[in-house]
Amino acid sequence: MSDNRALRRAHVLANHILQSTPPSSNLSLTREVCLQYSPPELNESYGFDVKEMRKLLDGHNVVDRDWIYGLMMQSNLFNRKERGGKIFVSPDYNQTMEQQREITMKRIWYLLENGVFKGWLTETGPEAELRKLALLEVCGIYDHSVSIKVGVHFFLWGNAVKFFGTKRHHEKWLKNTEDYLVKGCFAMTELGHGSNVRGIETVTTYDPTTEEFVINTPCESAQKYWIGGAANHATHTIVFSQLHINGTNQGVHAFIAQIRDQDGNICPNIRIADCGHKIGLNGVDNGRIWFDNLRIPRENLLNAVADVSSDGKYVSSIKDPDQRFGAFMAPLTSGRVTIASSAIYSAKVGLAIAIRYSLSRRAFSVTANGPEVLLLDYPSHQRRLLPLLAKTYAMSFAANELKMIYVKRTPETNKAIHVVSSGFKAVLTWHNMHTLQECREAVGGQGVKTENLVGQLKGEFDVQTTFEGDNNVLMQQVSKALFAEYVSCKKRNKPFKGLGLEHMNSPRPVLPTQLTSSTLRCSQFQTNVFCLRERDLLERFTSEVAQLQGRGESREFSFLLSHQLAEDLGKAFTEKAILQTILDAEAKIPAGSVKDVLGLVRSMYALISLEEDPSLLRYGYLSQDNVGDVRREVSKLCGELRPHALALVTSFGIPDAFLSPIAFNWVEANAWSSV
Amino acid sequence: MASQSQVLVEVKSSVRILTLNRPKQLNALCFNMISRLLQLFLAYEKDPSVKLVILKGQGRAFCAGGDVPPVVNNIVQGKWRLGADFFRDQYTLNYVMATYSKPQVSILNGIVMGAGAGVSIHGRFRIATENTVFAMPETALGLFPDVGASYFLSRLPGFFGEYVGLTGARLDGAEMLACGLATHFVLSSSLDALEADLCKVGSSDPSFVSTIIDAYTQHQYLKQKSAYYRQVLDVIDRCFSRRTVEEIISALEREATQEPDDWILTTIRALKKSSPSSLKISLRSIREGRLQGVGQCLIREYRMVCHVMKGDLSKDLVEGCRAILIDKDRNPKWEPKRLDDMKDNMVDQYFERVEEEERWEDLKLSPRNNLRASKIASKL
Repeated sequence: MSDNRALRRAHVLANHILQSTPPSSNLSLTREVCLQYSPPELNESYGFDVKEMRKLLDGHNVVDRDWIYGLMMQSNLFNRKERGGKIFVSPDYNQTMEQQREITMKRIWYLLENGVFKGWLTETGPEAELRKLALLEVCGIYDHSVSIKVGVHFFLWGNAVKFFGTKRHHEKWLKNTEDYLVKGCFAMTELGHGSNVRGIETVTTYDPTTEEFVINTPCESAQKYWIGGAANHATHTIVFSQLHINGTNQGVHAFIAQIRDQDGNICPNIRIADCGHKIGLNGVDNGRIWFDNLRIPRENLLNAVADVSSDGKYVSSIKDPDQRFGAFMAPLTSGRVTIASSAIYSAKVGLAIAIRYSLSRRAFSVTANGPEVLLLDYPSHQRRLLPLLAKTYAMSFAANELKMIYVKRTPETNKAIHVVSSGFKAVLTWHNMHTLQECREAVGGQGVKTENLVGQLKGEFDVQTTFEGDNNVLMQQVSKALFAEYVSCKKRNKPFKGLGLEHMNSPRPVLPTQLTSSTLRCSQFQTNVFCLRERDLLERFTSEVAQLQGRGESREFSFLLSHQLAEDLGKAFTEKAILQTILDAEAKIPAGSVKDVLGLVRSMYALISLEEDPSLLRYGYLSQDNVGDVRREVSKLCGELRPHALALVTSFGIPDAFLSPIAFNWVEANAWSSV
Repeated sequence: MASQSQVLVEVKSSVRILTLNRPKQLNALCFNMISRLLQLFLAYEKDPSVKLVILKGQGRAFCAGGDVPPVVNNIVQGKWRLGADFFRDQYTLNYVMATYSKPQVSILNGIVMGAGAGVSIHGRFRIATENTVFAMPETALGLFPDVGASYFLSRLPGFFGEYVGLTGARLDGAEMLACGLATHFVLSSSLDALEADLCKVGSSDPSFVSTIIDAYTQHQYLKQKSAYYRQVLDVIDRCFSRRTVEEIISALEREATQEPDDWILTTIRALKKSSPSSLKISLRSIREGRLQGVGQCLIREYRMVCHVMKGDLSKDLVEGCRAILIDKDRNPKWEPKRLDDMKDNMVDQYFERVEEEERWEDLKLSPRNNLRASKIASKL
């Protein structure tokens, strides 16, 4: 490149001396006859106010989001690079695992110095919590590793201290955590136990002579595994362990243990090993921990729920061990809330890139010598991307609703939050994975390049389907909770209240036999189908379980045998809850173009969910003709959403710098001059 | 016609030299000049015989800003919509320059402020000299850095743009070059020869133009007290990156207690003297601008300037102009008086459409083929 430039400079100077005009460069001549990049903005228009739509989608703290986007763009730590005349910030995934870990930590220091984490643990109330969630979401849009590393420190370690601990812990740890004077991690999962926390094998005993707890890893399967932050950086950890007092196992409790000194040396009686290179999230230093009779002060038991007196007596305000365990787990819901919303932002990044590319990339002509057709003008391409776009919209409102009920939580709403967060976390993270795969294929070979993000994000976000509760396990929890609700209402002969089951108190909705376009797009019809499906599946599920129990099977085993219905029911419940959130959002906004386009998006969400679910035909909620009508309507909606595609992804509000080169001038980004 | 003489046109083969010619008013841009410039730029873009446009100023200023007093007069007489027309045309001109398909060379041999920055920084080449004085002084006037400043300031390194935009700090030519506001530094004594050479370019290829200017470029050391030295830049980045104006000021005050120096004290004083409402909307504008294209920036700034003129939330523009330009007592009475009194929801309103105003419309910018604007960003 420099040779080329020097040569041209020599040309110019020579011509300058000869007083003639320089020859026009051959390079620019050949460029003229080739493909020209034409930005989608030139040919597409916005049919609604994208700023308004962005406010609806982000839901809260838009100014704070813009602030932290800017913080990252203006620092050299975030791997700023220029491609095709635009600035991008995105991690260098070609760095070694160790380099990625170190740069991730440096990025966190930078955010800390700029006051991003101010008040994250010391301020309370919905406003402070929402702000924190918004900032964390933007961290995740830049790089999942940053948000996970921050999330482990604040939401797992920090919240454990806050919620499981009492005043003495708060005073000692919260402010120091906020200032990163201590770096926390969270040792719950073991090699032998993940989702089944109650089965963990780490054992803690109490020594009254020294007033210390003694933590031990009795066997290899009890080693703590996947502990984010443990491999390199964390100084302290929450340890989940069985608590044995005088030979009695009091169940799982949480303790604080120091694992490294301030210089980063591993403490005595602790062994730490690395989890190694992963399919993504290599900026997070996951490690394994063994405790060799580690002694910690008595005060390090997080004693909000239970305590051990200095002379070794176990006391707890909650007598029932099941309830005690439930009380322990309740605060961990925050993880599922943040995962659900971060999954949707990842899907937004993927779709914004794939749709922008499909509005500038052409392939094949339909007529001889005719111009090549824009990818998104192919009905098949529309069918691949636009329903995913509609789902992402609906789920965006679902994630916002989940955040709202979470930040306004009360003891009475704990159950609902548990059920809704389980369903949403599973469905939204699965949706993200499907979306990223479709986007990767939709941009063709370019999707394979790491710098174009869509492919890379699959690896980065895959773990979301597993951590903080395996998706399949969570979905079973949803159907189990619905089962319990159903049985209890029937037994007490009381109307349904909560979990959105109130519709079960009314007569079964009757669907029209003929489905016209306007029926299919009617919110009442859509609600009716979703309710009918949920209600019928719940009834089938409960009766199947009852039948199995009648044959002498245990309740738990009956659930296992009814897994097919359980799965259908969990999905039906979650999809209906999502539909409700977008309907609520739509209802709140005044008549106008934003509302109109949201109506189209909502219908697409409803109808694509119906089209993709075989249970409608299997159980006969819709006839064969009906599903044909649904299918045709989806296709029609694709055509109607097509003109809004650019505006809809622009409304995601993700700055250009956080997308990737193929979303913009990919010709220039790949030009020889930029090699 | 006055507008003809206020913008002089020289035809030099394939180059057009435009000279802003209102030297007594330091070439402040009036409505007529803006219309004339817009007309000329659009015509030159279509004319294949024109390859390059040079813009300069007559006298000791390139351009000291927009001609604000008539606008303020209109506002006082309840005719802010006339002012809106002025800004609409000005921002349209800024947009055309930012997306111009041919290189514009601005010779900044003197004062460049406000509107003067708007007609130069968006262009491809900005030549600073030893006479250049640059500033965006709007927050002291009850306005905010407009003319697309939320686009170009936000793209300066680190948080230098927030510093320049909020404090109205003056930069010299060397500093402009160092931060990227200028692309070249040439001694004023070489300008005539440079101009003559540029007139021979015969091509719109920026690399040719660049080569010609490069030959005249002088290395220029930063002055000893420059804000662009690393240790000051670090303070700027640490403080001006903060989330709110209040946090920026308290971060500066913390720095001042640790190591008090003239620069910090001047900076704090400048912020405290500026209009609180201006400071808050300016910060928000730069932050949003960082994430937007130049067209979106101008559309947003147009909404903002209409709200400022309409004066529902604050009449600081009228007050600022009275104190600085008319009565010159330099003692404006801002309202709201304190930063605390300017609440977030009040700031929000400046960014909304102007509702309940007959026939008011958002600034309409026609799509342009050359969205090269971002290229400038990467240069900056």
